Amino acid sequence: MANTSEYALSLEGIDLYYGYVRALNNINLNVAPGECVALLGDNGAGKSTLLKVISGAHKPSHGTIKVHGKAVEFHNPKDSANAGIEMVYQDLALVDAQDTATNLLLGKEILRKGILGMLGFVDRKAMREEAKREVAQLGVKIDTLTRPVEMLSGGQRQGVALARSAVRVAKKAQGILLLDEPTAALGYEQKVMVEQMIKRMSANNIAVVLVTHDLPLAFSTADRMVVLNRSRKVADIATKDTTNDQIVGWITGARDSMENM
Amino acid sequence: MRKPDSLSLLLFVRSWGIVILFALLWGAFSIWGFPIFGTFVNFSVILQGAAISTIFAAAIAMGVFSGVLDLSVPGTAALSSVLLAKCLLSGVPMWLSFVVAIAAAVVVGLFNSFFTLRGINPLAVTIGTLSITTGAAALITTGPPLYGFTPMDWLATNLYFGLPAMFYVALVIYIIGTVFLTQTRGGGRFMAAGGNAEALRRSGVNANLYKVLGFVLSAGLAGVAGIVTTAYTTQGNPAAATDSLFTGLTAVALSGISLAGGRGSLPKVMVGALVIAEITSILNIKNIQPFWGIVITGALLIGALYLEMTIQKQVSKRVVEAKNAERQASHLAETAAINIQKEAK
Ligand SMILES: Nc1ncnc2c1ncn2[C@@H]1O[C@H](COP(=O)(O)OP(=O)(O)OP(=O)(O)O)[C@@H](O)[C@H]1O
Ligand SMILES: [Mg+2]
Repeated sequence: MANTSEYALSLEGIDLYYGYVRALNNINLNVAPGECVALLGDNGAGKSTLLKVISGAHKPSHGTIKVHGKAVEFHNPKDSANAGIEMVYQDLALVDAQDTATNLLLGKEILRKGILGMLGFVDRKAMREEAKREVAQLGVKIDTLTRPVEMLSGGQRQGVALARSAVRVAKKAQGILLLDEPTAALGYEQKVMVEQMIKRMSANNIAVVLVTHDLPLAFSTADRMVVLNRSRKVADIATKDTTNDQIVGWITGARDSMENM
Repeated sequence: MRKPDSLSLLLFVRSWGIVILFALLWGAFSIWGFPIFGTFVNFSVILQGAAISTIFAAAIAMGVFSGVLDLSVPGTAALSSVLLAKCLLSGVPMWLSFVVAIAAAVVVGLFNSFFTLRGINPLAVTIGTLSITTGAAALITTGPPLYGFTPMDWLATNLYFGLPAMFYVALVIYIIGTVFLTQTRGGGRFMAAGGNAEALRRSGVNANLYKVLGFVLSAGLAGVAGIVTTAYTTQGNPAAATDSLFTGLTAVALSGISLAGGRGSLPKVMVGALVIAEITSILNIKNIQPFWGIVITGALLIGALYLEMTIQKQVSKRVVEAKNAERQASHLAETAAINIQKEAK
């Protein structure tokens, strides 16, 4: 095995229990900077759980996480963000009653200048402009940034969640981006945009882990495929060395687990 | 594809219904209660009657916005009230007595948040606290109300510009609260914690801090209500004013929100409290039994929540229709794109 410090992210022996349910069973995973790994598997395989462990939303029961070779322990998503990790959650993690700008800049609000800023007053105009810029970068079509996001379409909501994480990770030196079904609600055009965004991220040396049920998307973006089946890793293979049928076999369990993982 | 007319009408009713109701009732009661109701003096009397329940409403509203229904509010107010009276009677300086009363309320808020954040149902926690604080208040006075301390009319019935002092207390609370909630980073996060605390946490913010703040603000405002009550009634009364829960909650419901948390506006809560005060006033003027006021308050509470739910359902239905149309459009676009690719081959 290569020296782990080459990897942006490496997981060793990750276990996670929800009560008595074992959702992750001894998972090892390495992602190099600029590499895109597709994390595949059936419903309930443990994909979201694994990403949440990496993002600090869940604490693993056992195992170590290393970021750029350094062992880390995340107590909450803030810790992982400080280590350069951003995640788009499957449930999007939006505050429904608040508008796009507020959601995009949640936790990164822009304050006014001077004494009002010191008192914690926000600069709504600057926030709207920043939001407009971020949304435009991703090509998300939202006409009114001042509407509560509960009134946006599913695709627009997904766009907001994507833009939030994409912008944040792009600002980091050696970022890691975790995407949990980022295209589930998207139309054709938006899906292409996301595909291009992922490629751009990889080109900028950002490590990407992409969870998706969309195999064509996985094949077009990922350098490597990792398949989970009922909480275990059953395949870890370079995209060029595998085929659609093989992957489907691992996902459904029709194909035996790869050895020595 | 959207139906802007009916959708925006529903949203308009949700946003401005309470203000319209206030104005309509004002007009109707001015005629019915002519010549007394519509006068400035009566307006001032209404504000005086509304002041304490308005502060209670702010306490309940802060809890609801942050995602909890704090039922301990009347007990906290009673505790602050008797502590204030006890301090004053023991010769403690007035400012220090105020500090003691508010500090006790803040401790109650911290107590509530401690157990809620550890996973106990907040309704159960705050009912327990209601019991504890009411009992503690009675233990402090050994039963009957405490009186005989220096009057505090300057905080209660004294008129400034024709309006009672206690109303200004409520006004200051509402102005500061509104600025906090709508203009500051803390206020935005406070609302976000009520709407989706997990989303806030995943954005790297300590969401629990804002949950604690919800309980502390709710309890602190209950403490202020207790102080103003003490000033107004000139006694420290250990009996919790549980009817303040009804009016407070009704005012919040009248402001046009479900009680789910994460949304709401303080000025509208204030108008809601004033609507209840209007009704109390007209019953008074028309010599109708005040118990009707209690009945009407309950009916308004349920009616307002029912209306809000109906509107919310309608709005969701419209939005879903719009989303479906959009999805269909994108599906069409996708099929078209695939067809184009096929043709190109
Ligand atoms: N919060 C939770 N509490 C208890 N069990 C959970 C929780 N979240 C997930 N699980 C369980 O853990 C297992 C893995 O769930 P996970 O959400 O990681 O699946 P997934 O691979 O992301 O599936 P999908 O493709 O449907 O999103 C499932 O059996 C699920 O029921
Ligand atoms: Mg999932």
